[in-house]
Amino acid sequence: MAASAQTAAPMPVVAGERPGPLKRLLRPLAFMSLPTAVLTMLFLLPMGILAYYSFQFGDLTGQSGFTITNFTDILSDPLYRDVAFTTFQIATIAMIAQLVVGLPIAYILAYRAGRFELPLLLALVLADELNPMVRIYAWRMLLGREGLINETLMSIGLIKVPIDALLFNEFSVIVVLSTSYLTYTVIPIYASMKAVDSGLFDAARDMGAGWFTTFRRVLLPLIAPGIFIALLLVYVPLFTDFAAPTLVGGTSGFMLGNVVSDLVLETGNLNAGAAMSFLMLIAAAGFSLVAYRLSRIKQGA
Amino acid sequence: MSLSRRMRRGLPSFLSTALVALVLVVLFGPVLLLALFSFNDSTVISLPWEGFTTKWYSAALDDSGATTSISNSVVVATIVMVVSLVLGTLAAWGLTRLTFRGRPLLAGIHGAVLVVPWLIIGVAGLIFFSQIQFALSLQTITLMHVVVTFPLVVAIVSAGLIRFNRSLEEAAIDMGASQLQMMRYVVLPQIAPSLAAAAIFAFAWSFNNFEISFFTGGFEQTFPVWVFGVLRNSSNLPIVNAASTVIALGQVMLVFGLWYGMKLMNRRRGGTDADAAKMLTGGVR
Repeated sequence: MAASAQTAAPMPVVAGERPGPLKRLLRPLAFMSLPTAVLTMLFLLPMGILAYYSFQFGDLTGQSGFTITNFTDILSDPLYRDVAFTTFQIATIAMIAQLVVGLPIAYILAYRAGRFELPLLLALVLADELNPMVRIYAWRMLLGREGLINETLMSIGLIKVPIDALLFNEFSVIVVLSTSYLTYTVIPIYASMKAVDSGLFDAARDMGAGWFTTFRRVLLPLIAPGIFIALLLVYVPLFTDFAAPTLVGGTSGFMLGNVVSDLVLETGNLNAGAAMSFLMLIAAAGFSLVAYRLSRIKQGA
Repeated sequence: MSLSRRMRRGLPSFLSTALVALVLVVLFGPVLLLALFSFNDSTVISLPWEGFTTKWYSAALDDSGATTSISNSVVVATIVMVVSLVLGTLAAWGLTRLTFRGRPLLAGIHGAVLVVPWLIIGVAGLIFFSQIQFALSLQTITLMHVVVTFPLVVAIVSAGLIRFNRSLEEAAIDMGASQLQMMRYVVLPQIAPSLAAAAIFAFAWSFNNFEISFFTGGFEQTFPVWVFGVLRNSSNLPIVNAASTVIALGQVMLVFGLWYGMKLMNRRRGGTDADAAKMLTGGVR
């Protein structure tokens, strides 16, 4: 039945209207042509041009042509390697922090919250909808040298000199990023937990399993797809973020997103910026594909 | 035995309350303080409290950067919302209800847009528009916002379409309804909550978008770009507090408005509040 849908044989016939061949051709066209045109013009084409630019050189004398030096320059530059490592470090720590907080929060939401479940869910959605720039600013206000945390600690006499370590370093970037994407970490895990029959926990306990065994052997395999989706949704944006490192990162919190932004907007080297973006895109695509595949495999099991 | 079991249950419930409270404080505390200090009568944002004032709000109203960028954002987000709803609903119907060659590929491209980082889409947009020599402005921002936002509408509306029973549509056709009547009287009421959720999320995605607006805006600024520019060039400013408070308040009201609207729609259809929550969180996923 499903196989015949592709060929000339009609779909299971519903009495009354039976779409003719012309209609079956025109209807998808009517619905899909506009969205497809938009995607082609404004997504596929720009991405293609980005890829093309990354393989081009152009200098002030007007010469241009094909090259791979944009990539070799980036990959051989130790400075970029350092930035890539910092980025990896920040994104990974932020991701782990969010999983450490997000897993229990999702668990509480799914099984323990009772009548608070929906309000808490709403709070998470709200946290995500608040403007990210406003959130970054709020953290900067708190963590700065003359920020509220330092001022408060000094006024109650706990410290004599302000703690500078709070802002403009990797720590502040991690704090801001972790709080920015918590919603996207919790919701997929929560959704996969909702689908688990909680009777399994009673069964595990009756058979003598402790909470850790229950978590590792019963719950974790069942919610693994949700965790992979959370990784897919959160890790890539963490990796490419550049607003947070610019505003709260200082010099030690410099990330790959800043490199792209500097190359494109400050130095105006579109080819190098395109190459860097292209490399990040490949990394993101590879990571997304693996995470997506893993989430599918587990679902089938 | 029963005591130890109760303790085992009692302790986590205390811990979980504490954890939830901590997360809520971390998520909302900073923004609440930001709002509080927009009323502080002092040019520096710190204690001690110098007294209540609304002067930062009138100062923000006089600041052309603040007012222009906010109105730019509202205009762009409204256009993006409407266009994305139309494109997204068309595509959602096509991808879930029609069979045609190339459907999996098209569905894949719609999904791919959602996982490509906005930074990269922003850079690609910038290069694309400079290549075709189209000046960067609010128009280019709007175009790029549409292309990243309408696939979100596709995802939300498709989920709504898959959830409800197709036989209702077939029944309507059997009973002599035209395609248009079937859409209007059978499909639309069913997916209305999904459409409402998609509308709000599309608006929020555009309104909150920083990366794409930053790269494809040229000299024109949306609200996040304005805040970014101010913060990068100076220290904290009370007028940013005031403007941010207004924006945050608007967003809180929007989310709550959506929630009550969806609850209402859903109850009328005989669904539970949990169903409404599922649709609401659908926009996050």
